[in-house]
Amino acid sequence: MKLSTFRLMLKEGIINIYKNKLMSLASMTMVIASLIILGLFLLFALNLIVNIEEIKKQPEVTIYCDHELDEEGILNIERAIKEDERVREYTVKTKQEAFEFMKDILEENKDVLEGYSEEIMMVSFEVSLYNPENSPAFVETMESIEGIWRIKYSQEVVEFITRLVYWVNLISIFIVAILLVISVFIISNTIKLTVFARRKEVGIMKYVGATDWFIRWPFIIEGIVIGILGSIISYILTSYGYNVLESAVNSGEFKSSLIFTGMVKLDIIGSQLFIIYAIIGTIMGAVGSIVSLRKHLKV
Amino acid sequence: MIEFKNVSKHYENGTIALRDATFKVEKGEFVFIIGPSGSGKSTLVKAMMKEENATNGDIYVNDYKVTDLDRRQIPYLRRSFGVVFQDFRLLPNKTVYDNVAFAMQIVEAMPKEIRRQVPMALALVDLSKKAKAYPHQLSGGEQQRVAMARAIVNSPCLLIADEPTGNLDPDTSLEIMKLLDEINQRGTTVVVATHEKHIVDSMKKRVIELEKGVIIRDQKKGFYKNEA
Ligand SMILES: Nc1ncnc2c1ncn2[C@@H]1O[C@H](COP(=O)(O)OP(=O)(O)O)[C@@H](O)[C@H]1O
Ligand SMILES: [Mg+2]
Repeated sequence: MKLSTFRLMLKEGIINIYKNKLMSLASMTMVIASLIILGLFLLFALNLIVNIEEIKKQPEVTIYCDHELDEEGILNIERAIKEDERVREYTVKTKQEAFEFMKDILEENKDVLEGYSEEIMMVSFEVSLYNPENSPAFVETMESIEGIWRIKYSQEVVEFITRLVYWVNLISIFIVAILLVISVFIISNTIKLTVFARRKEVGIMKYVGATDWFIRWPFIIEGIVIGILGSIISYILTSYGYNVLESAVNSGEFKSSLIFTGMVKLDIIGSQLFIIYAIIGTIMGAVGSIVSLRKHLKV
Repeated sequence: MIEFKNVSKHYENGTIALRDATFKVEKGEFVFIIGPSGSGKSTLVKAMMKEENATNGDIYVNDYKVTDLDRRQIPYLRRSFGVVFQDFRLLPNKTVYDNVAFAMQIVEAMPKEIRRQVPMALALVDLSKKAKAYPHQLSGGEQQRVAMARAIVNSPCLLIADEPTGNLDPDTSLEIMKLLDEINQRGTTVVVATHEKHIVDSMKKRVIELEKGVIIRDQKKGFYKNEA
């Protein structure tokens, strides 16, 4: 297509959007609704995944020794941890450190510890593995060693979030698919109006020797422009909403929670999100037009 | 230029609109296709444009074998000639200028070329002053002249007109015929389907007469009624 022809068709497409203001607006609203819901799911899943990565980096396994365990027994456990190939690193928390930590947590209420010494506490090891997926097997190995009171690991959290991401993805695919179909349907109805308004014109174009594509393009451009405008508005709305949420969350209480490490900044993912919006918006518009052309215009 | 070889057209409802039509039109000719309403003139024109497919026989137009033409080739066949209809078929929301330019935009002519050719075509049909008007602001004769400017703006070597004066009064009709004659003088082959006696008689051109889909006369410098 020549540039001059493209300009002509772009103009035609935009004029038609303007002529069908109401339906164009309805189409655009649907595009916006679908894209924003898609975006919310994407961003939610992304944040979960990023948080999983963070959690995976945290010490996954904490091993508590029996508090009566003697020096010999503790060294025995430490040796077992040190020699395990799955272990990336570990730290020891002595009874003293545990007692201090307890005092910190209790703050004003630390009187309850009055009369007790660190002897009531346990030595613990915080172990970080290379691959968090190894933690169940690692835990099993450790459990066979004498003198261990209890083992805790964050794998449960990881597994929970992994399952959550899976379901979020599944549900979002389902909902977004439905919305996309509805959007395409509404866009195709918008284009139908233009097609009907221009049926006679299309007939004349054919008599004068216009090719099918020459006739189709202005309608397709009309759909694509609706899709792109919709995706731009969706992006503006999504990024505004996300930024508000993100700054509230990242400066607020959540930040300090143990498992939640904060939300991803939009700067990092914004351009990708926009590209996704633009591509899907364009495809929706084009498909909507083509569906309509196939049905109502035998070209 | 145009050749029909034993062409028949049977519509789905059983109507036979053309029977075994055979004729040839040479380059530069001016030909009337005549006959009463329903005799098959429009069917003949539609078969040339491949708006309808001939049931039997072969049609050649401008080096295209119309009867074997692929669907996608139809636009190129139609660009090779200009067409004018009884109902003008102008785009109502485009100006006279844009209506004519439209035919060139479709073939993706250069904008520069469009700006050069459109005024020339409008001048030929004597409508330069109405370039900015819309079709509804024009008389029937003026609208038909716009349609003719559109038909010739790409300089086709063939112009086909189906009842071009059907909606016009006798004086305006003669004006349009004069214009067609002038276009013919410039070397364009012209084929006009009509049932109007007076315009045929005024021109004394070749006449192909149809009756119930059969060619019953093909006469050089003929009249509407066979006087031979
Ligand atoms: N699409 C069609 N379907 C069925 N019959 C048709 C169709 N078009 C034309 N006819 C019939 O074919 C015959 C020739 O019609 P037409 O070519 O329009 O004649 P003319 O242009 O000479 O008046 C007529 O009997 C008409 O009723
Ligand atoms: Mg007719």
